[in-house]
Amino acid sequence: MKSGLKKHLLWGLAASIAALSVVAATPSKAAEAREELRAQFDKALKGKTVAWVPVWLGVLESEWTRVMKAHFDDYGIKFEVRDPNFKSDVQLQAVSSLINEHPDVLIVQNPNVTLLAKELKRAMEAGIYVVQVNMASNTLSDAYVGVDARDLGRRLAKNIIGDCGGGKGSGEISILEGEATAAYSLDMKNGAMEVFKSDPSIKVVSSQPTSWDANKAGEITSTVLQQHPNLCGILSVWGPQAAGAVQAAKAAGKSGAKIYVASDGQPADCDLLEQGGFYRILSYRADTQGEAIVNAVIGLLQSGDKPGTKRIAYYTTPAWVNSKEDRIYCFAVPKDAK
Amino acid sequence: MPLSGEAARVRKPSQTMAVLAMCLFLIVIFSVSLKGFLTVGNLLALARNISILGILALGMAVVVIGRGLDLSQVASFAASTAIAIIIINAGYPTALAVFVGLVLAIAIGVLNGFLISVVEMPPLLTTLASSLAVLGLVRSTAVQHYVVYLAKGHDGFLQLGGNVWNGVPVPILIFGVSAILLHLFLSRTVLGRSIYAHGDNPDAARLAGLATRPLTMLEYALSAGIGYVGGVVMVAETALMHLQIAESTLIFDVIMVVVLGGVSLVGGRGNVMSVLVGTLLIGVLLNGMTIMDMDVQTQNIIKGIVLLIAIVLDSYLHPHDE
Repeated sequence: MKSGLKKHLLWGLAASIAALSVVAATPSKAAEAREELRAQFDKALKGKTVAWVPVWLGVLESEWTRVMKAHFDDYGIKFEVRDPNFKSDVQLQAVSSLINEHPDVLIVQNPNVTLLAKELKRAMEAGIYVVQVNMASNTLSDAYVGVDARDLGRRLAKNIIGDCGGGKGSGEISILEGEATAAYSLDMKNGAMEVFKSDPSIKVVSSQPTSWDANKAGEITSTVLQQHPNLCGILSVWGPQAAGAVQAAKAAGKSGAKIYVASDGQPADCDLLEQGGFYRILSYRADTQGEAIVNAVIGLLQSGDKPGTKRIAYYTTPAWVNSKEDRIYCFAVPKDAK
Repeated sequence: MPLSGEAARVRKPSQTMAVLAMCLFLIVIFSVSLKGFLTVGNLLALARNISILGILALGMAVVVIGRGLDLSQVASFAASTAIAIIIINAGYPTALAVFVGLVLAIAIGVLNGFLISVVEMPPLLTTLASSLAVLGLVRSTAVQHYVVYLAKGHDGFLQLGGNVWNGVPVPILIFGVSAILLHLFLSRTVLGRSIYAHGDNPDAARLAGLATRPLTMLEYALSAGIGYVGGVVMVAETALMHLQIAESTLIFDVIMVVVLGGVSLVGGRGNVMSVLVGTLLIGVLLNGMTIMDMDVQTQNIIKGIVLLIAIVLDSYLHPHDE
């Protein structure tokens, strides 16, 4: 009995020592695995080159660029930006010459669906991952990050019908487009018209391009308000141009027209909403989009896939901004940001 | 386009009349066919919408009468008003900020005039280059993202883009006053007549003892200065300045209004009336087409056709070989 107990104790002791040593061994192995993960991450990213060609460096594009640069610098990725400043020939040239420089990833913002389509195909054939931002071209590529402009149009239109349709308002709507040929603007308008047409109480009295110009938007709005004093809603595909409509509505006096804006979430748009100029904003937040672009890039670099073999989409979920409470859906540009 | 100064002398005054006739014709057509065109409210909206284009065209006319061209006008007012807004937003008095902007605009104009008259660079290239330089400089130093918003609470300033007396737009009053002042300057002062002489025949003007170099600087300074007035009105109407306006087709609209009304590119022809008529025609046309909610392609076709009709009508009334 005594010796039996002793034996048990001994076994017990041995077992606990064994268990302890296992427990002790586990963390060191785990630490190794975690370090390996980081090493694998660094190996995939460090020293890689990412090239970025926006349409131009406006507020939206600068915010994307700022977020991208912060992350890429941190990961040891070389980041090159070319700003064609709205010149499509310059943009095409920039993309062509970049393909010859052979970066690991090429990020582009398409001005339309055709301009870069051929070059993007060539880039993937040359072994460069291609990420397209905010508007896909006719060539689909490894990743697409951005909004679905048609869907933004539908969401805005549904929201406007909620306020203006079915006898709640006059049902008269005006649409402020962007550049007449810009696909972003056309898609959004078509999405909105699809929904508006489904409701007989809605009448789109004007749909005019503004060339992204606040002054032009103001001129159109003052003429439209003269013809349709009971105008219920104005849908603008972009913020800064709609600022002109705000002033025109003010100058027209007792206008009850509400202004709905599809926005990249730039601070000035939220400012105008808080000052009562805009009625509602559908914001797709450039800062979080910037994060999504970064994620697409580092995902591709770690995937080991051959460029041109996958089609991954990262659609942005837009958020409604109704009041000061929703300020989080607008980004803030840090003071020292370049 | 006239081939010689002689042809232009015979043709030009009549072009103004031909365009005026077209304008009246359009007004009659629109009044009959468009419900809501011939109403006080719409005519006031029309007046508001042509004011800025008209003011800019007044400035451009001075340079064109002096046988020059100012492609930097829009860039120069965009840059200088943007800086004025930044100064206002920083808390300085509005009047001071607007004045600083004016000085800046005039400086750009004088520099243009200097390069053209003293360094003897061609106006087209000089002003194209200076517009790029000014825009680039302002963008890289002051206005990173191309858009500057006027901070909240400058209602006094914004009143420049508002209405008085039951809906009369202030911009049209500014346009009117500018037009009268410029008319008096061009037709009643020695300097004004000198600009015509300069544009009519620069060599003769110089030989006759006119100081054509300072005169050129004055012309470009006036173009930039008057353009700046248009820019200030634009800011007052929209509470922002978007530098991209300098890369839009606005500058060509301005030149089109000037030339359409009968201020010939060969210089020395046309007057403030030509500018008023050209502005009115474009204004009536745009207003009618906006009311009809025409799509942009159709709008462009019609704009082109009207421009062609104006030219054809003019050369029919006054053939070249007269």
